[in-house]
Amino acid sequence: TEWNASLWGKRRAFTEHVHKLAELVEQKTDGAFTINISYGGLSKNTENLDGISIGAFEMAQFCAGYHPDKNRAITVLELPFLGVSNLDEEVAVSHAIYDHPAVAEEMAQWNAQMLMTSPMPQYNIVGTGDPRDELAEFDGMRVRATGGLGRAFSAVGAVPTSVTSSEAYQAMESGVVDTVAFAQHAHLSFGTINQADWWTANLNPGTVNCPIVVNIDAYEALSDEERAALDSSVDEAIDHYLANYGELLQQWDSVLEEKGVQKVEIAEGELAKFREVAGDPIHAAWLEEMSAQGLPAQELYDLVFSTLESARAGN
Amino acid sequence: MDSIEIGLWVTGGLLVLVVLGMRVAFAAAFAGLVGLIWIFWDKRGYDPEMFGWALGVAVKTAGQVPHGKVASQALSLIPTFILIGYLAYYAGLTRALFEAAKRWIAWVPGGLAVSTVFATAGFAAVSGASVATAAVFARIAIPEMLKVGYDKRFAAGVVAAGGTLASLIPPSAILVIYAIIVEQDVGKLLLAGFIPGMFSALVYGLLIVILALSLKSFGPPVTGFTWRERFASLPPALPIVAVVVIIIFFVYNPFGGDAWGTPTEGGAIGAFIVFCMALWRGMRLPELRDALVETAKLSIMIFTIIWGVLIYVRFLGFADLPSAFADWITSLSYPPMLILVCILLAYAVLGMFMDAIGMLLLTLPVVYPAVMALNGGETVSAADSAFGMSGTMCAIWFGILVVKMAEFCLITPPIGLNCFVVAGVRPELSVQDVFRGVTPFFVADAVTIALLVAFPQIVLWLPSLA
Amino acid sequence: MAGQASVLEDDSLLSRLDRGLARLEWGMALVSGLGAFALMVLAVVSVTGRNGFNEPLRGYVDWIEAAMPLIAIFGIAYVQRNGGHIRMDIVVGQLKGRLLWAAEFLTTLAILLLMALLVWGTWAHFDRSFDFSTPNWSRDSSIDIGLPIWPAKLVVPVAFAVMCLRLVLQLWGYGRAFVLGLSEPVAVPLVMSAAEMAAAEAEQVRGHD
Ligand code: NA
Ligand code: NA
Repeated sequence: TEWNASLWGKRRAFTEHVHKLAELVEQKTDGAFTINISYGGLSKNTENLDGISIGAFEMAQFCAGYHPDKNRAITVLELPFLGVSNLDEEVAVSHAIYDHPAVAEEMAQWNAQMLMTSPMPQYNIVGTGDPRDELAEFDGMRVRATGGLGRAFSAVGAVPTSVTSSEAYQAMESGVVDTVAFAQHAHLSFGTINQADWWTANLNPGTVNCPIVVNIDAYEALSDEERAALDSSVDEAIDHYLANYGELLQQWDSVLEEKGVQKVEIAEGELAKFREVAGDPIHAAWLEEMSAQGLPAQELYDLVFSTLESARAGN
Repeated sequence: MDSIEIGLWVTGGLLVLVVLGMRVAFAAAFAGLVGLIWIFWDKRGYDPEMFGWALGVAVKTAGQVPHGKVASQALSLIPTFILIGYLAYYAGLTRALFEAAKRWIAWVPGGLAVSTVFATAGFAAVSGASVATAAVFARIAIPEMLKVGYDKRFAAGVVAAGGTLASLIPPSAILVIYAIIVEQDVGKLLLAGFIPGMFSALVYGLLIVILALSLKSFGPPVTGFTWRERFASLPPALPIVAVVVIIIFFVYNPFGGDAWGTPTEGGAIGAFIVFCMALWRGMRLPELRDALVETAKLSIMIFTIIWGVLIYVRFLGFADLPSAFADWITSLSYPPMLILVCILLAYAVLGMFMDAIGMLLLTLPVVYPAVMALNGGETVSAADSAFGMSGTMCAIWFGILVVKMAEFCLITPPIGLNCFVVAGVRPELSVQDVFRGVTPFFVADAVTIALLVAFPQIVLWLPSLA
Repeated sequence: MAGQASVLEDDSLLSRLDRGLARLEWGMALVSGLGAFALMVLAVVSVTGRNGFNEPLRGYVDWIEAAMPLIAIFGIAYVQRNGGHIRMDIVVGQLKGRLLWAAEFLTTLAILLLMALLVWGTWAHFDRSFDFSTPNWSRDSSIDIGLPIWPAKLVVPVAFAVMCLRLVLQLWGYGRAFVLGLSEPVAVPLVMSAAEMAAAEAEQVRGHD
């Protein structure tokens, strides 16, 4: 069996688990089952779910925030201030939500089923000039932030200004945006860290959720042996991803030092204010909106916190 | 069948359709769709019962492309930069530029042709699309050259070649497309295009003077303008300077402060200024309506090629042809500079059959990483690199080279868009006439490209200041 | 070939249908042009708002992406009507009479087949983003301000369907020219003679440059 996997951009920390998965599956089946990874050749990133639904390719990565209407159930994972504090917790929470029947049902509309997540740390912002370490300084700030993060910054008076990730550097340089919110690997690969004077170390407003999905028909057409090889490789692929991303995070401080970027710690009182304005009200609005559309919103929402609790208890 | 084999067959079929006269955009889309059906059916072992399935998947995959690829902020530069060209025409800027160039430099041998080249260079500073520039100057400059006895083919060639300057001198749609594909700084690339663009214009001018000195039947110099007439021609052309300054300030602030915005916005503000100028010069609703419909026609023609070629490129993605090429190129053990020159030559050949944007979209995802690897990687320092420049600078340098190659392809047969457009605007000229007239400029372009390869400073000096 | 071509007219049913459809197509092309103009205005508003009032246009990119299909695709049939999509005429340019009409008929038929399939494919693309049971009937919305995307996706099959009508008329025109052995058929783009072209050109450019 030969599968095609549709990713975008280039190989980076964010896609390492897919490469590991392809490697493991090929090993375990003695080359009978191969996965070709394509970066942008098979689809546009915002159309990956459509491609799965058509059956054009068998595996794909996408981010919930690109098209919330296509995947309403998992947007719970992009709510600001969920309190996820590391990648292990992010994996646990994501996979618990992916296992919920409401998610499976919504994905099935796209002929898709969840395979695994692509865990990312909390997004933090970089900026130029004097550090913005008080909430009042966010008022009128032009920030590149999408989805739930954009809404969080909106709530404190900032103006989400959408530019594509590849234009983020230019937008910062030209003053179109004052700040850019990314995960660390993206600050590196899109060069925004080179432009920055400071980086918030503990704003931690939330992150973006980007699952890997497979086409249901293709998955069911696999032989038992192939399916077992795929399923059994997920945990190992995720472990590889976490180890790799962990190294990147370890080097992060030295990257900051090398680029002369100041690490800004925001006072707990300010963070509490941010959470107050941009946390609960946005959560409540999400619950109301999604319940009105017939999703078990409260159930999904509670599942996030119960999973977080048990993940912490397990450690 | 091997998917790469399918890729080669379909590519051959596409060339046949194009040569037979099927409109290029649709030939590419047709080949791409047939290729997709083939590849999906191949995946099901040519089972007759699965043909319907393969057809459906292929059609739906192709059906994603027109909307998906066209709904892009980056590509929104193209209609904006075309609109600015047509508005500048109605604002009288084209005529004013040509008039000023004529009065100041038409006295040299081959004067009107040299004037045309410098007027197109000036117009390039408000126009982002080569094709629009060629179309506009075909209306204005060719009749004047014919009046004083130029060979009609050569006159057409001058305009077709001069039009290509618009894509190096900022604003430039294609440089933006390059920057977006390879994720480099758009502003630095636009700056980098300026000097090579002016340099190309100079080489064209020199070539014309040499031709005029050595050929008896060449167009005569046009003399007899007084200094008063010369200076009187400047003010009407002056507004172009304002537009240039604005676009530059939106890209890079020479006084060290922040730039004023993005290149995208700079282009739109430039268009707005030209629009106001056109209103002031007496443009009324019917003319505006004509300008808009003309903008729509040219934009749609270009975008139809874009999505048509991208359906074919989508098929190539499934056939995996690009990565097969990448593996092959990185396995070569020749000197990096030789490989680079071969890559540029390959672009010249490919460009004979493809349009510029399609060619870049098709090849860069493959070729760019290979070139960066040749130089020693994206983060290499100048000292450790093969070409003697840092990774960032190599990206800029290669971008200008590739865009210059792509522009070169706008005037090469059999699919030289600029030549088609000039022939389309001028009834007395066939496409073959224009291709014949533009031939001397191949030499000029070859010289320019050789110099840009040998002396990267021509490209890199300006962006290294920013 | 690019640019200008003329379409002859007479009182036949075919020619009347051609002119009727051409009016619709011209209107669609004008909408495309207005879209390009709107892009410019949008940028001016955005820059002024940002620099003048610290209030950038919300959803600037979302609006651009919504407008682009209108600009780039909506008027496609008008360009086809006037023979404005480029091609190589090295081979076709040598043909005359019935042979020419046969060649034109075949390539036009191939385009019709392609466009008919693409109406299906682009409709499916639209249909996946459209759902009567959801708010704004949307199953796909833009990143920043959540604009529904289905209207922009619907533009494509609509434009392509009009293109198919145009191709059917052109097939009729070429087929008729082939059967009757005409030299100057109506309702298909013909390359103009030099004099006609110059007249059309003068008409268009007069007073503007
Ligand atoms: Na230009
Ligand atoms: Na060419």
